[in-house]
Amino acid sequence: MTTSLPPTTAAIRAPLSPAGEAPSAWKVVARVASTVWSNGKSRIGLTMLAVFVLLAIFAPLIAPYGASETGFDRSADASAAHWLGTTAAGEDVLSQLLYGARISIFVGLVAGLLSTVIAVLIGLSWGYVRGFGADVINFIVNLFLVIPGLPLMIVIAAYLSGGGIGMIIVVVVVTGWAWGARVLRSQTQSLRSRDFITAAVFSGERPFRIVFRVILPNMTSLIVGNFFGAATAAILAEAGLEFLGLGDSTVVSWGTMLFWAQNSNALLTGQWALLFAPGLCIALLATSLTLINFGVDGISNPRLREGTKR
Amino acid sequence: MTPAPTTPAPAANSTLLEVHDLSVHYGYGQTATRAVQNVSFRLAHGEFVGLVGESGSGKSTLGFALTGLSKPPAHIEKGRILFGGTDIASLDAEQLREQRHGGIAMVLQSGMNALNPVRSIRNHFVDIFRAHGHVERSQWAARATELICKVELTPQVLDRFPGELSGGMRQRVSIALALSLEPELMVFDEPTTALDVLVQHAVMNTIIELQKRENFTAILISHDLGIVLESAQRVMVMHEGRIVEDAPARQILENPQAPYTRMLLSHYADPRAEVVELPGFADRQQRTANGAARADGATHAPTVSPRTRRTDQPSMIVQNVSKVYPAPRRGEAPVRAVDDVSFTLEPGSALALVGASGSGKSTIAKLITAVEKPTSGRIRFGDLDVGTLNRRHFRRLHRDVQMVFQDPYSALNPLHTVEYALTRPVINFTGLHGTEARRRVLELLDIVGLNPVEEFAAKLPHQLSGGQRQRVVIARALASDPQVIIADEPVSMLDVSLRAGVLALLEDLREQWGVSLLYITHDLLSARVVTDNIMVLNGGAVVERGNTADVLRNPQDDYTIRLLDAIPNPRKDVA
Repeated sequence: MTTSLPPTTAAIRAPLSPAGEAPSAWKVVARVASTVWSNGKSRIGLTMLAVFVLLAIFAPLIAPYGASETGFDRSADASAAHWLGTTAAGEDVLSQLLYGARISIFVGLVAGLLSTVIAVLIGLSWGYVRGFGADVINFIVNLFLVIPGLPLMIVIAAYLSGGGIGMIIVVVVVTGWAWGARVLRSQTQSLRSRDFITAAVFSGERPFRIVFRVILPNMTSLIVGNFFGAATAAILAEAGLEFLGLGDSTVVSWGTMLFWAQNSNALLTGQWALLFAPGLCIALLATSLTLINFGVDGISNPRLREGTKR
Repeated sequence: MTPAPTTPAPAANSTLLEVHDLSVHYGYGQTATRAVQNVSFRLAHGEFVGLVGESGSGKSTLGFALTGLSKPPAHIEKGRILFGGTDIASLDAEQLREQRHGGIAMVLQSGMNALNPVRSIRNHFVDIFRAHGHVERSQWAARATELICKVELTPQVLDRFPGELSGGMRQRVSIALALSLEPELMVFDEPTTALDVLVQHAVMNTIIELQKRENFTAILISHDLGIVLESAQRVMVMHEGRIVEDAPARQILENPQAPYTRMLLSHYADPRAEVVELPGFADRQQRTANGAARADGATHAPTVSPRTRRTDQPSMIVQNVSKVYPAPRRGEAPVRAVDDVSFTLEPGSALALVGASGSGKSTIAKLITAVEKPTSGRIRFGDLDVGTLNRRHFRRLHRDVQMVFQDPYSALNPLHTVEYALTRPVINFTGLHGTEARRRVLELLDIVGLNPVEEFAAKLPHQLSGGQRQRVVIARALASDPQVIIADEPVSMLDVSLRAGVLALLEDLREQWGVSLLYITHDLLSARVVTDNIMVLNGGAVVERGNTADVLRNPQDDYTIRLLDAIPNPRKDVA
């Protein structure tokens, strides 16, 4: 049991290998991916998402016609030429659906990413600082939380009217970051009291580095989960705003398809596919992201990995 | 078949439990962890058996297997557990549930957290009575009262909620709950480990009394050979999944056979003895006698002359410091965590801060490191006024004052390698970069005895044992070349066999580098071997102070005496 203390001047003669690094980023990504994939529900979600993404990317190749190509029979029923029929303006519904996926997925990912970034920046700093600064952030976040989301969205969108997709992203981000910030803040506060954070202070680390290099990597799963949640909300919000006619109604997206279908009383003319198809796609895309989140839960908490308990 | 509760108590010495060649594995095939291997033993009615082993020895896995509580991936690979003639492993969930009445009960280490916080203690009893239907409804209140009195609590406790009880009281309640099914076999899995020293002693006494009175068969699982030897009649020592020794307690104490048992025993000593020696430690008195003649009392010089660069380092001077926390609830008095404490930590000396939990010893550590600000009084370190130190000047203080944490499992970031954990303070405090910094990191690993250094540098915390982790934590504390190290219970989470190594390391650091050490602990034995002076804290105030050996051999204050009595001492009867 004795620990003989070697002379401290003992030169380390072993050749110095290049500085050993923290587990490489790729290994972490691979581990996260395999954990998510190992969950049945999230495997379904990932497959669905992959299908949507592929359809969106290759829409120009797959779609039988252009998205805004008019000149077909108006309000036609499903036929061999138009699988889902045509709109009141004489466009092919299937082609619009495929092109529309691009907008929904783009808005979902970009708005989800942006609101997650804001939530991380604000949530983590908020959880770490104490005193007056925390109170100020608390006030601002609560302000965003108590104002009902949809009315705020409509007001901002009406104010910025005509901005198109960019405007919609801004509206979704502004109204969507606060929940994530609050969740990340609570987790930061609980990590903050752990010994290794105090140890980092004793190691002479500056607060910025403690927050973003020591605390942040320990919350990966929460952040990834937050991203998928925010993306889901963004897709739904985008469709909602465009359905209300607050977006640029000339852009072909699932939301505008619903808007035009409503305008032309598609249900009254028996064109149920016109409402049903984009609605189902929105629901499926949102579901796929939610399913992925089941697997994300298992990344940091092995107890939530399904199938491992009896 | 479950043994009916009405059957008359079988004659003593008849076998109650028989374990045949039992193996419990985690996982399957080649990669399985073999936690318990080929274990066989018998338990007679009314026996009190201790099961001792260090962490990872498989003792808890065995306990869970006996009670039919094994959870996947743990499973019984082979062997049989016969309880009253029935193989436990063959019972299905419902039979197992029925068997709990008059069968096997278990008290868990975290039993104090096993109570539902929103139900009163009475409801916990009622739940059990209702589930098994073995007590008449009219008898419920009387039976609950009877049980709660058995564990030395008052009947008023029945109407309280778990949150209103202390840890020791909650553990007593969970023992009473286990008793409510009139078990023939009680398995206690580390029943007192999570409790405070003084409470630990009292709860253990209750268990011993109960066992004598109720005459149930008991298995006491513990990592602490001292506790087990004090209470059990027979002791089984477990090591790496096997039972290496199975003998009456007295025989283990006087004539241990297995080398592993001898090793465990060698780490116990009475801190009150004239001469205290542990593996790796000669007696402190003798060591100091060989050194320079020392001055009396609290201000004696370091035992070994520190290196020259340490001659003019400042002392840590604490003057009349108090810390008051606001009242936890309205209407209650504010909490006085530290009450008018003064001391000086001389360069190169070692001071022990001793007390039960809640005595304010950890608060003092926080005050000294400027994590908390004192309500009144001054703390000076050189020209730094620690009490009013601004966050921005933390680096200046932490260059000289470093901390070793109690729990090596939470003190290292699970995502960073050892090298990263050590490189950061090296860069922050010494300004070294690149190859230079790496050289220093490897040197630090060498100092704390983690060889080969290259290999350890690349490891992640979960690849290290508790003792190795604690060495990394110490290496990190050394990175800034500090003058003061505050060690907050540095060995309380470690196995006995690893403790001596970490303590010896701290001791060597002090002697070779002239680092002063503030050693915070409730463990008086370790305080005796690593420190020169001691301060005993009770309720935030110093009740006794002086030379460590003198105080422990000749305690004056009642509280110090109680702390000393609470130490399990297997040799008490022998001496």
